[in-house]
Amino acid sequence: MKRPILLLLALFQFMLFSCPARGDVSVSIRVDREKATIADSIGMVVSITGAGESDSPPVFKDMEDFHITQGGTSSRFEVINGQVNSRIDYSFLLQPKKTGTFEIGPVEVRVDGKAYRSNKTTLTVVKRSQSNSMDQDPVFLTAGLSSTEVYEEEQLIYTLKLHHQTMVSNISLDLPEAEYLTFRQLGKPVEYRSFYNGQSYDVIEIRYVLIPPEKGIYIIEPSKMEMIVTQPESRSRRGLFDDPFFSFSTGRPKTLTSEPLELRVLPLPDTGKPSDFSGLVGNFHITSKLEPDTLKVGESATMTIVVNGRGNTNRIPDLKWPEPEHIKVYADEPVLEIREDAEGLSGSKTMKWALVPEKEGRYKIHPPSLSFFDTEKLQYQKIKTPFLSINVLPGKTKQIQASSGHSNGQNIKGPAKKSVKELGHDILPIHTSVQGLGKGPLISPGGIVFWFIFIGPFFIYAIAFLGLKLGKRSDTFNTTLKAKKAARKCIRRCRQDETSSIDLALYFRNYLNERFGLSLGSMTSIEAAEILKSRGVSHNTAQEIQNILKGLEDAIYTGKGHNVCPLGEDISQLVRQVEKEIQ
Amino acid sequence: MKSFICLSMHIFFIICFPGPGIIAFQASESEELFFSSNQAYSQGRFQGAIDGYEQLLRSGHKYGTLYYNLGNAYFRLDQLGRAILNYERARLLMPGDADLNFNLNHARDKIHDAVSESPNLVSMTFFWLNDLSLGNLLRIFAFLNILFWTVLLLRLFFKFELTYYASIVSLILWIIAGTSFGLKFYQLNTDNRAVILEHKVNILAGPDISDTVLFNLHAGTIVHHERSEDGWSLISLPDKKRGWVRAGAMESVVIQD
Repeated sequence: MKRPILLLLALFQFMLFSCPARGDVSVSIRVDREKATIADSIGMVVSITGAGESDSPPVFKDMEDFHITQGGTSSRFEVINGQVNSRIDYSFLLQPKKTGTFEIGPVEVRVDGKAYRSNKTTLTVVKRSQSNSMDQDPVFLTAGLSSTEVYEEEQLIYTLKLHHQTMVSNISLDLPEAEYLTFRQLGKPVEYRSFYNGQSYDVIEIRYVLIPPEKGIYIIEPSKMEMIVTQPESRSRRGLFDDPFFSFSTGRPKTLTSEPLELRVLPLPDTGKPSDFSGLVGNFHITSKLEPDTLKVGESATMTIVVNGRGNTNRIPDLKWPEPEHIKVYADEPVLEIREDAEGLSGSKTMKWALVPEKEGRYKIHPPSLSFFDTEKLQYQKIKTPFLSINVLPGKTKQIQASSGHSNGQNIKGPAKKSVKELGHDILPIHTSVQGLGKGPLISPGGIVFWFIFIGPFFIYAIAFLGLKLGKRSDTFNTTLKAKKAARKCIRRCRQDETSSIDLALYFRNYLNERFGLSLGSMTSIEAAEILKSRGVSHNTAQEIQNILKGLEDAIYTGKGHNVCPLGEDISQLVRQVEKEIQ
Repeated sequence: MKSFICLSMHIFFIICFPGPGIIAFQASESEELFFSSNQAYSQGRFQGAIDGYEQLLRSGHKYGTLYYNLGNAYFRLDQLGRAILNYERARLLMPGDADLNFNLNHARDKIHDAVSESPNLVSMTFFWLNDLSLGNLLRIFAFLNILFWTVLLLRLFFKFELTYYASIVSLILWIIAGTSFGLKFYQLNTDNRAVILEHKVNILAGPDISDTVLFNLHAGTIVHHERSEDGWSLISLPDKKRGWVRAGAMESVVIQD
């Protein structure tokens, strides 16, 4: 039982994997049509017969005139009467870039390392006929201008409309590149249903605003729109699955182009062009407002001027107007608002000024004017606001001053302070007073008065100082002289021959009296020593003197006072020592 | 002794701070000439006013007011260089005069060349020097000199704590005033500023008309005059530019008597 089964399996395996003969591999291409328009996408299938798989996808050569998009791959395997066939189909979509007759192929495929080439086929691409294509195509693109003849800076609308009866998706748009022209999209694309040549279409509309800056003729090249068009496969019966959600539809890329357009831009007329024309083109009007129109000196009012309209609003100038006398004007930053709608660009420019009157009275405000080229009347227009007036009442300042004593401490603010504005420049007048001429230099460096003033005080001080010093020095000097004189006298006497103890004691007492200005009639040895110590004599010297004087006293009081005393020399030396120590 | 000192101080004060009667302007022909010059100025005869003021200056009346009026008259005649020259001379004598400073600044605004002196350390430290004339500083120093020695003199006789501090304070003030006076005196004696008088002058590389023109200066510009040779003057600017200019094209601010 097992043997037949094994044989069957072996046969099946042989049929599956061994049968495809590699030597029968062939490659062929075919397109779904031989003639197409430039807006079409052409289906192309590359079939590889005799191989279950290829080494790589097919390689196209010399196909620069087409956009090639791979659509998918399918394989087929057949066993017919024991003959095994296999085939791989590669699907591609070709989108021609230009018109002409093109040779498609050959395509090269490598199978098991060997290259195989396909056959060639021919495709003719023709220019699309608008009327015919629109009549027939379920999808087409149109472009239009709101006006083919405009003035410089006049805005116009460029409209692209995609009509489609089938589903489209993945839409991408390439706008034409035109020098000096800028496409500014107006809002989002609009979708609606419309009838064209009796047929109903879904329309996708996109609007752009163009403002040609210079005169001339502009060629607006076609816009190109790429998309995936979904075409439901035709079925004989409509049923539940005819719903697009369930339908087996195929999407194929499609490129649509619009027709080229010509735009003629005229120059703005020179006749009647106002001197203050700023290039504003369109239709504009102006409004003004002054709030409040009655105020007091030092308070501020706001004047608002709004210019709005349709056109190249970005060219609305900053308006200027003559400032009235006695009113300070402070300009605010203008505010420009640009709006987009289906008709193009519109907008407004709001300008504000703060007016601060400096003087009471009624003032007339001369409004500013604005010039523009009116695209409806095709002529220049000059618009201005009506005259405005402002009534200025006396300010609070004077009233506050008059009633400041009754303000009850309220903090009342005066008018706003402003920096003084210089109106002119000139020199100040000459000096006419003769007093200025009298300011001559009474004291001049080097003059007598100068030296008298600067040296004089010093001399006065010096004289006073020296006088005082000299005064002091004279007293001391006399004392010193007296002391020296007393010392010399004492020494001279003590050195005399045959001097008694009484004489020596008397000489020394006289010396002390004269030396220190004393007037002692009698003096003991102890008193003499104390006096000497108090005057700065050293203890030893004072003690020696005390001892000598004690010896003299002893001699006197023992009756030997009249005898010759040999201590004269000792006393002389001690006097010298005293003088030395005192100095 | 004390009575002698008091008498001396009294004499000093009288000399230093004389009463208005002493400084009264000597009414004379000079006064009449001054008034007539002022009248000429007010009538728009500026050249006549200049002649009058110059005559007064030549006769020795070197007062700030005369230089100021002369500067005004030259300014009216569009002689910016001479106007600034006389304003600068007036400023040496009355630097604090508000009218003078206003007019001088106004005239400086009209100078073509952007040449400005940068302040140095001395002028920043002794910032009051620019607003005080030498005469003012001299009076201040004279007063402080007398005060200082008087305090010292008092201290010889009265050695109180008050006299000690008074002597310290007066010593500091005396040093400051003396230094200020000395600096001002030095500034005036080394002031080599000169004013370009002609509308436009060529500054040359050497004292010869054929030398290279280094740069141009215009009326009113203040330069530093370094030396003169054969009718040419070497001048320099604060930005180190140097060159020679004809001596007649400029005039020194300080008048050398």
